[in-house]
Amino acid sequence: MTNPRNETIQKLLLRLELWFAPLLIIVPLVVSFFFFWEWYIKGFSARSSLYDGELLISLLVLIGNLMFDIFFLRSLRILKKKQ
Amino acid sequence: MFFSEMTARDAFKLTKQKMTEYQTEFLERMNAIEVDAHWFRRVFHTFAASFLFYYLLPDEEWINFGKIVLPVIIVLCMVVVEYRRIRGDLDHQRFFGLRNYEKKRPASYLYFGVAVLLLFLLFPQQIAIPCILCASFTDPIIGESRYYLGKKRAYAIGFVVSMFFFLVSWYRADWWVLILVPLLGATGAVMGEARKLKLVDDDFMIQMLPAILLLLMWQGCLLLGVNILPPKMILPLS
Repeated sequence: MTNPRNETIQKLLLRLELWFAPLLIIVPLVVSFFFFWEWYIKGFSARSSLYDGELLISLLVLIGNLMFDIFFLRSLRILKKKQ
Repeated sequence: MFFSEMTARDAFKLTKQKMTEYQTEFLERMNAIEVDAHWFRRVFHTFAASFLFYYLLPDEEWINFGKIVLPVIIVLCMVVVEYRRIRGDLDHQRFFGLRNYEKKRPASYLYFGVAVLLLFLLFPQQIAIPCILCASFTDPIIGESRYYLGKKRAYAIGFVVSMFFFLVSWYRADWWVLILVPLLGATGAVMGEARKLKLVDDDFMIQMLPAILLLLMWQGCLLLGVNILPPKMILPLS
């Protein structure tokens, strides 16, 4: 007879979506923060408009991702409630 | 002494048992989490905007080499995985969020990856950035609005959103370029999304069609002696 704990672990390992989901949410936020930091240090602090592109990309990545992340997280909650 | 030894051993055993129970419960709870495939796919799209980090990578010889080799290796790995999946070596069930029609053809993530690779390697970032943004955001926005507002309105919204991305990416260009480029780019993006082809996925077309149209426009203007390309939007780390 196999150990139920090991069985659960094996099932979990196969469910790639569970491993990907946190990455899909966190990575864009980190990238957006990085772009923003780049703009803040080299653009805003040094009073240079050369880095305005970084600010725009940072905002686009952040807002675009947050918009869909909210719905994604809500869908997880709804499915959990259904269970 | 013996009594206290027994207690310590018992306490250790009990703690171990409790830990195992807690672990098992936690793992079962994790396993019970269900992920909505629809929103998972949408978030996968928006996640792709993070690839723009590529343009932040420093401009040094060995990194420039990595900038070519690494994306190629990643896409090649994706090709191998897809080849094995289609052949049946890898279980289709393991690929969460795949659509039914993707069972016997390469999945859309591969088309997406190939398009991003081509944009990175063959196109200037001024053209590649808005195209990647269109694939990341316009595609899911059209998908969602189509559901609530119908096809025509969804494409109209997609057109406006794409125009916005081209406008933002080319904001340093001349005024007449700022009118032409967003119009041409957004038309290409919406056409790429709207035209459903059997062999080529819309995730590929939404990026490549506007990119090719803009490349032709840029090269055409260069032949006339006018360089319409604005300065780079993202400067590499130094």
